[in-house]
Amino acid sequence: MKQKWSLIVLILLFALILTACGGSTEEPAAENAPAEEPAADTVPAEEPAAEVQDFVTWYQYDEKNEDPASDERVGNEYLRNTIPQFNEAFAGKWNWANQPKAFDRMTTELVAAVQAGGEVPDLFELSNTQDVIDFYRNGTAQDMMAWAQEQSWWSDLDPNAIDACTAPDGALLCIPISQRPQLVYVWNDRFPDGYPTTPEEFLARAEELKAEGLYAITFFGSTDKGGEGLTRGIWTTISSFGGALDDGQGNMLLNTPENIAAIEFLREIVANEYVPEIAFAGGFQEEEAFKDSSAGSFPTGLFGYRYVNPLTAPNGTAYAKGSAEDMIDAIEAGDVYLTHFIAAEGQMPGCGVDVAGFVIPVGATNVDAAHDYINWIMSPEQNANWVQGPGGGFPALKATQADPAFQTTFYKEAAEAIGASACSPWYGSLERPNEAQETVMTAVYKLIKEDPTADIAEVLTQTQEEYNAGN
Amino acid sequence: MRQLLSRSKGGGRTQSTLPFWLILPTIIVLLAIQVYPALYTVWLSLQEREPEGWTFIGLENFKRLFATSLFNESVGHTIVFLVGYAGLTLVLGFVIALLLSRNVRLSGLYITLLFIPWIIADLLVGLIFRLMVVPDYGLLSGILQNPAIIPPDGLSVLTAVPPKSWFGDFPFPPAAAMTFLILASTWRALPFVTLLLLAAMQTVPTEIIESSRIDGANGRQVIRHIMVPLMLPTMVVALFSLTLSGMNGVGMVFSLTGGGPGTSTYVLSYMLYSIGWDRLQFGRAAALALMIAIVNWLLISGTLRLTRVEERSV
Amino acid sequence: MRHKPLMTRQRRENILINIALIAVVLLAMLPIATTVLVSFKMEQDVTRKPPVIFPCDTETQAFEWAACRWSVEGYDRVLKPEPASNWLGFELTGNMIRTYIPNTLLYATTTSLLVVILAGLSGYAFSRYRFRGHRPLMVSILAITGVPLLTNLLALYQMGVKLRKADIPFYDDRFFIIMVYMGFFLPLSVWIAKGFFDAIPRELEDAALIDGCSPLGALWRVIMPLAAPGLMAVFLLTFVGVWNEFIAGYLLISKNDHKTVMFGLYDFLGQNIINLQVLAAACILIALPVVVLFLFTRRTFFKAMVEGAIKG
Repeated sequence: MKQKWSLIVLILLFALILTACGGSTEEPAAENAPAEEPAADTVPAEEPAAEVQDFVTWYQYDEKNEDPASDERVGNEYLRNTIPQFNEAFAGKWNWANQPKAFDRMTTELVAAVQAGGEVPDLFELSNTQDVIDFYRNGTAQDMMAWAQEQSWWSDLDPNAIDACTAPDGALLCIPISQRPQLVYVWNDRFPDGYPTTPEEFLARAEELKAEGLYAITFFGSTDKGGEGLTRGIWTTISSFGGALDDGQGNMLLNTPENIAAIEFLREIVANEYVPEIAFAGGFQEEEAFKDSSAGSFPTGLFGYRYVNPLTAPNGTAYAKGSAEDMIDAIEAGDVYLTHFIAAEGQMPGCGVDVAGFVIPVGATNVDAAHDYINWIMSPEQNANWVQGPGGGFPALKATQADPAFQTTFYKEAAEAIGASACSPWYGSLERPNEAQETVMTAVYKLIKEDPTADIAEVLTQTQEEYNAGN
Repeated sequence: MRQLLSRSKGGGRTQSTLPFWLILPTIIVLLAIQVYPALYTVWLSLQEREPEGWTFIGLENFKRLFATSLFNESVGHTIVFLVGYAGLTLVLGFVIALLLSRNVRLSGLYITLLFIPWIIADLLVGLIFRLMVVPDYGLLSGILQNPAIIPPDGLSVLTAVPPKSWFGDFPFPPAAAMTFLILASTWRALPFVTLLLLAAMQTVPTEIIESSRIDGANGRQVIRHIMVPLMLPTMVVALFSLTLSGMNGVGMVFSLTGGGPGTSTYVLSYMLYSIGWDRLQFGRAAALALMIAIVNWLLISGTLRLTRVEERSV
Repeated sequence: MRHKPLMTRQRRENILINIALIAVVLLAMLPIATTVLVSFKMEQDVTRKPPVIFPCDTETQAFEWAACRWSVEGYDRVLKPEPASNWLGFELTGNMIRTYIPNTLLYATTTSLLVVILAGLSGYAFSRYRFRGHRPLMVSILAITGVPLLTNLLALYQMGVKLRKADIPFYDDRFFIIMVYMGFFLPLSVWIAKGFFDAIPRELEDAALIDGCSPLGALWRVIMPLAAPGLMAVFLLTFVGVWNEFIAGYLLISKNDHKTVMFGLYDFLGQNIINLQVLAAACILIALPVVVLFLFTRRTFFKAMVEGAIKG
């Protein structure tokens, strides 16, 4: 066996050394690559027609992924249906060529691509508003303020959504299409008399559920994914106690009575085991406790319905399509309802809000197509569709909010919940949100889970000082 | 050294330019793929990204790094990880090599099977081990989380809070996840070390062992006074190579724990990944990379010195 | 008669050693076994609390062969077989099979071949010639690997972008990836190759030179065949190294069509790690090729590793 292998290698070696003789190392590989071209048969077809230009987008969705069990199938399907529509609407002018990107890497890649002067898309699908700050710091995104203000839809946009897209220097770095607030998914049988509105009521009900061997709540409690949990249940809780993470001037300010009260509340529900252990497992596994209804409520993003399935209700009903429809079905059937979180005395229930929309990167080659695309998505025919597909939230355009698509039980309950809450982006005026997210989540985790006896004020002060030292 | 010099004097082929041409392609590739990026890293470590572009900030990145508690924690975790990983691997590797050196009939089969873990990518090893301890569903979790087996509440490896530290801030005893990370890393590195030690063991002359046995030494004495001293250089080489791989590998932390729970498996290599490619603070990441590089160079030069000692003594 | 007790003692010792070794091997195989087990389960058995080891329990019995619910759902999701009109009657349409594995094979084979050539040439030069800067050069080749990869990748990323824009004829992104992998695996390979050349007596070569061969001719005709097993080892180590490499591919490859298997695993990590059986199946499928390769070439591996570790 060994001899045979050696022989093969020797022959190949010989063949290659002939081409490599000139001392150049580049030729053999360059010759190899075209020879293997068939491996790349999935390269998007580049239309040869003379005046049709490619319009390149980066979405986290992949129109070629037809796996019905894919967790991104809503977005994948949306692109599959919409790309031909766009190409038809702009036939002879633009050809939409999408490049799917890994969801947790596309921001980094865009920043690196712009810095290196590399190939950037004409349009970038933004799903996380805090990316705007990254793009601002790294000079990644174009300021669209002047262009956007001239468009017919501008005056109809929700001002909060515009704020979220505005960089500290006033530049408009994204066009908001969809708002993704945080709210609470609740199993009706676990909270049949409505969701508690105060911490005290919550604790009382949680104790009753615990006596039945159940958990009152599950949330993203781990420090996984760069502290992503902070932007979800943790921020919902902090803001529901009237807390904030910054002083409005770009400095971190954690050591406030409101924040301490919020952390004391979290500490109590963790210490009393109202939260399942899996909430701290990372990798979005906290969802499991809600799926099998062992946990009664789940504060998360509105778009969470897509990923939290299949479901088993407390009464045994199974919603087992294994797709985004499961949660919608459960809500229609009344097994699950959406509501706002509790609130401390004198406070509004808090929630985080995120915006999904579009960014035109610096160095984009086909800005005209991107503008045409944005206007196309803002049209009544397309807007609701995008908000329901990739957007996974509420329309930022007020006109679209009246669309029948948003009159379902799901959206009505969600709208009510949001209406009763005071929602704001968690990072406030902080200019290094990624760093803040990780360090604050680490501090919160330490306080509520790892070391429940640690002095809250001390840990918070230390965290904020460390962050502010980098300002 | 003397040997090298004398050989080069006698070689008489120094006039030829042929070796230069033979080495040139390698040098070109290394300059492009290794040297230039390394120099870029040095430059980067003195910069910070502002909206206007890269800005020179001197040694500020290093200062800030030292001032962050995460850095200090990561150093502690890295030390615990390295000591646990290298120590466990060496001890187990020695024992298994000792067993294999007895030339049992199926040793070839054993070695082959034992070796499979080494061939599996660290990213996959992390995933494979994660599958075993996924809370509630992992097959090992079924055992560990059972309160009857581990009182009082059972142990969930990936979420268990680290025990109270014995030495102030130093993370010892380690969290369950760290222990598990050490086990997974050991599992993958063990074959390599076993083989290395087995090879070294086979170079220990059997006459010495036999004669000492005749002199009345028992098995333990033979190991302690004859085998270990003779194998010491190999063991140190193995130790360095383990430390080097443990210091720089990021795939396993990436897929097994993601640095968690909390920060309890946050090691320096993972911190490097996270501040560079998650937080996009490349300047600070470069500063950290240079610090890691210094440790690496110490280890590499140590290995080289040792192997040269060996070469000379042969 | 006097020998008999000694024999049985030895035999008993042998049995004990065998038992110990079998225990070690079983323990070492445990993680792999659990992964295989998970990969053949159905989702409903994977997400059970408490977990079951074999999906073979019924309402009345803890284990019954006939009731086993084995499933290939995980493999199905990775491979996505579709009916087709070829001779097999189906084709595998999963990206893993269609794109990632062919890509990685291409990268690994090309890189390994190039590394073998370059490391062979320079290993030979380092082994046979003494020249100014010999030792410093050898040492710096190794030392340069001490700078952690992760920040270097930023420079490499920018380099890749510049190359792409330079409009070199026939240029392909995959070429750059191969270059990068070469740079990663060359240093140690040079050291290993030098070690193998050192072990070949110079007299053979001198004889060839006297016979009228040019130095390159001597290298080619006399030394190469002798060094082939060593170069084979370099090839295999590089091949496995490229196959298993994750982080550089993850950060440098921007087109889906150029992804490697390790990056492709990401498809299954997704946002939710609920599909443990799919993940397990993907792990098995990705690890299988190199494990099989190893089983056929293990001796070369063993030799190369001992050689590589001691010399370098």
